[in-house]
Amino acid sequence: MAAKQNLSEPSDSDSSSLTDQSVSGRSGNRSLRVAEKERRKNEAEDPFVLALKYFSDVGAGTPVYGNDEFETNLVLVERVAYSKGLSPEAISVMLEFAMSLRMGTGPCVRVLKCLIPATIVPQEPIVRAVVWLGVGKIPISTQVLFIKWVLTVFDMIDAKDQLRAIYGFIFSFVTEENLVLRVFRVRKLLELQSKLGRQPFLLHLLSLYKVFCPELVTLSIPSRMKSGFRNYNTPWKSALIAVQKRNGSQLASSTSLPFTIKDKTSSRKRKHCHLELPVLSSLVNKQPQTELSSSRKVVPLVQLNSFAQLLENIHRIELPAQMGSLLGSSLALQYLDCVQDESALLRLNFWLGYALHEEFLFYGDGGAYQNSEEALQFLDKLLFTQHFLQEAFSSSEAFLYKFLSVWDGSLLRPQILGLLSNIPVVPSSQIGRLLFEPLMQLFFTSSLFFKCGLMECLNNMLLKWLTWHSVYALEDDLDISLNSHTSINMTLSGFKDSVMELVHFVGRLASVGLQLEGCHTLLLSFVLDFYETVCDTFLKYGLPLVVMPPPGVFYPALFSLDPVSVDRLAYIMYRYKVNLTSAKSQEKVTEQAFHISRQTFREFNHYLVVMVNCLWNSNMFRPGMGVQLGEEVLLKSNVPQYWTSFDLVHHPAFMSYAVDFHQRCWPGRKDMDLNSIKHSKPWSWYLEYLYSQGYDGDFMDTHLTSPDGPSLLFAFTAHEEQWGI
Amino acid sequence: MSLLKPFSKLPGLNTANILLVESEEQFQQSLADALVEETAVTVNVRLAKSLPLPMENEESRPRIDLVVFIINLTSELSFQSAEASLKYLDPGYFLGKVCFMVTNARKASAPTERLDAVRKLAASLHCPLLFAEDQTPDGVANATERLLTILKVSAGLVPMATALYLSNLTRCTVPPDIDQPSFD
Repeated sequence: MAAKQNLSEPSDSDSSSLTDQSVSGRSGNRSLRVAEKERRKNEAEDPFVLALKYFSDVGAGTPVYGNDEFETNLVLVERVAYSKGLSPEAISVMLEFAMSLRMGTGPCVRVLKCLIPATIVPQEPIVRAVVWLGVGKIPISTQVLFIKWVLTVFDMIDAKDQLRAIYGFIFSFVTEENLVLRVFRVRKLLELQSKLGRQPFLLHLLSLYKVFCPELVTLSIPSRMKSGFRNYNTPWKSALIAVQKRNGSQLASSTSLPFTIKDKTSSRKRKHCHLELPVLSSLVNKQPQTELSSSRKVVPLVQLNSFAQLLENIHRIELPAQMGSLLGSSLALQYLDCVQDESALLRLNFWLGYALHEEFLFYGDGGAYQNSEEALQFLDKLLFTQHFLQEAFSSSEAFLYKFLSVWDGSLLRPQILGLLSNIPVVPSSQIGRLLFEPLMQLFFTSSLFFKCGLMECLNNMLLKWLTWHSVYALEDDLDISLNSHTSINMTLSGFKDSVMELVHFVGRLASVGLQLEGCHTLLLSFVLDFYETVCDTFLKYGLPLVVMPPPGVFYPALFSLDPVSVDRLAYIMYRYKVNLTSAKSQEKVTEQAFHISRQTFREFNHYLVVMVNCLWNSNMFRPGMGVQLGEEVLLKSNVPQYWTSFDLVHHPAFMSYAVDFHQRCWPGRKDMDLNSIKHSKPWSWYLEYLYSQGYDGDFMDTHLTSPDGPSLLFAFTAHEEQWGI
Repeated sequence: MSLLKPFSKLPGLNTANILLVESEEQFQQSLADALVEETAVTVNVRLAKSLPLPMENEESRPRIDLVVFIINLTSELSFQSAEASLKYLDPGYFLGKVCFMVTNARKASAPTERLDAVRKLAASLHCPLLFAEDQTPDGVANATERLLTILKVSAGLVPMATALYLSNLTRCTVPPDIDQPSFD
């Protein structure tokens, strides 16, 4: 308002507001001393310079209201800012004035709004301003405004080497709640929000949190908010562009940063701009100067071409201006993996979270591009990065939870399942809501192939969790650090709970899934894959946890028509046995606290009894064998010797082998009597024959080498009695 | 005004009948075209803009095994129409023979409140809530496949499974904190 009133005021400030750079540039021919004198003289008369002087000298606590001098000076600065842009010196003076709150918060906001740089922004005042942020007197809305300003002019900052050192601070201002006290902060914000009503800055912050931790900010943020967010930066942006145009600035427009993309004018271009990885570029715009000024030489990543170079320069590498560009370069990833500086990962996470959210959860009109090549390539690159680093980004995890709740189950399926299998261990209190509920719904309503895909994904997830555990478990076996970068610690029991939840969940999915799909062999095979991981948790990954498969998995596998499934089930049971006996003996030796419940042993014994009786002892359908049928029903079925019908000779999966064996063994015989295989000599031949068909080692080891009695089983139960379990 | 009843008619042999209700009549046609391609069972597709269904075809109408409400999340009208149609269904349908299918859920122009409202509606009726990508052929094919999965169960064509059993596994749940006060 004040600016408008003063527009009519005649002014020669346009000519005098030339920055000293341009003045000295023109005076190249003259002697320096004359030029200096001239300039001083000019400056002394220049009202703009006087205004700046006023702002640099004004004392703290000077009243704002009724202060005409202040008003005139500020209006002058505003006018210059909007017409020509401010010189670096002017920016540093004004920023210092604003952030020091020498005249309260009112002028601070006003000054921040008019900080339109003419050429570049020096980094010194920004660093100082961040220091002022740390003092903590600045209201949160102004803090947000300042950070938005920094983000808007980010690409115009002359050198970012010092700034980079405090990225941790800056990003903690942006995402702090995601990292430290997020629950507390978000609650506080929600509280504030309910007190103050619909405040745009709170909405902005909340929208940020919603991107990062949707589980905390579940209240709905209106989509119109988005435009509010957009408009917020637009004055700066448009003023900046206008100033740049007028000045014919050489500086490229800074539309490559996700935050500055929110221009409505470029919305058509916006579609996939997040998905194009930014080019790896140095963040030092004025390379020679900074090399002179800074005592330590830094090497931008972009200049490195080989691993050897990386090793040579590893102590002085400078991160690129755009963290997204790291994804494209394996050299950069190698550096990221070993760099101790958390801010690098933070920045990358921030960028990634924003890009994922904007492109896959919040896309504009006409969204037929969702399966497009760019989206595929972007996610593939992300997957490659995660495999390379062998850990997931927390931002992609947060994105997945959100995405799963609106996923149709087919869009970008391989990529999404790939990302999903990479997520770090989810606390057991959260796992149901974040993962299981959306997945269960998708699993039961989707096709067989989705079911198989999800099984594989969950198996990979479990494998990764177990591997993390075995790598990062600390020696005292109490604490494990699950992630080398983010220092999320989880107690061993917490980790065990999560794993147990996951295994039980897959058990449920598998049982019902097999039932709905008619025990489909393909699905069964993926389920058995999963249990091959589960049965070895103790020996392979050192996790004292043994979970038996549910009956809904065990029996379909045992009675499967496919011999491979039966064989694999036998192998799994064999591994369970090895794990259980080893856990038992270790428990005896070391007297450690971990304990495998009696129930697990009981379940295992029960399954083993059923299996041995069914396959080896021809004792099917006998009382106490798990599967029971009424005597009269069995008689009615007219199956002769029904108790033999699932032994290794008569089992539907092995019948063809038995017939083949019979023909080879007794080629002349006309009438086939499969029972004759069970005599002791042909029986051992038959077993040899099965070995030769690929049902080798593990399968037979589960059982006994003679049909006389389940000696192994007895040995085991004898142990059990001996240990008193 | 008549209630649509799930068990008032006899089922056909190896036949499943599905009713797609969508006020905008955009997605249902492409879904219907894809649904009738199914070869393992005879699938009859009935389309409606809203319920109740007209009286005149009452006699010739087969027993409806699954009612699908298609809601375009960018349109308030679409949601309201589906909500209004619900009361013309016999309560028996809500034992696993109703599902909601939402389109455009990932669009910036779809307000989160509406998604929450749909979630709450589906959860209160114990119905599954499916999300579909209606813009792409793959999305339509996948939506078709998922509907067929549910339809086969609710038509009694899957041994050892009933509609109620499946819907109990897949029904929508509301996140506990959805009831926080909204901004408005």
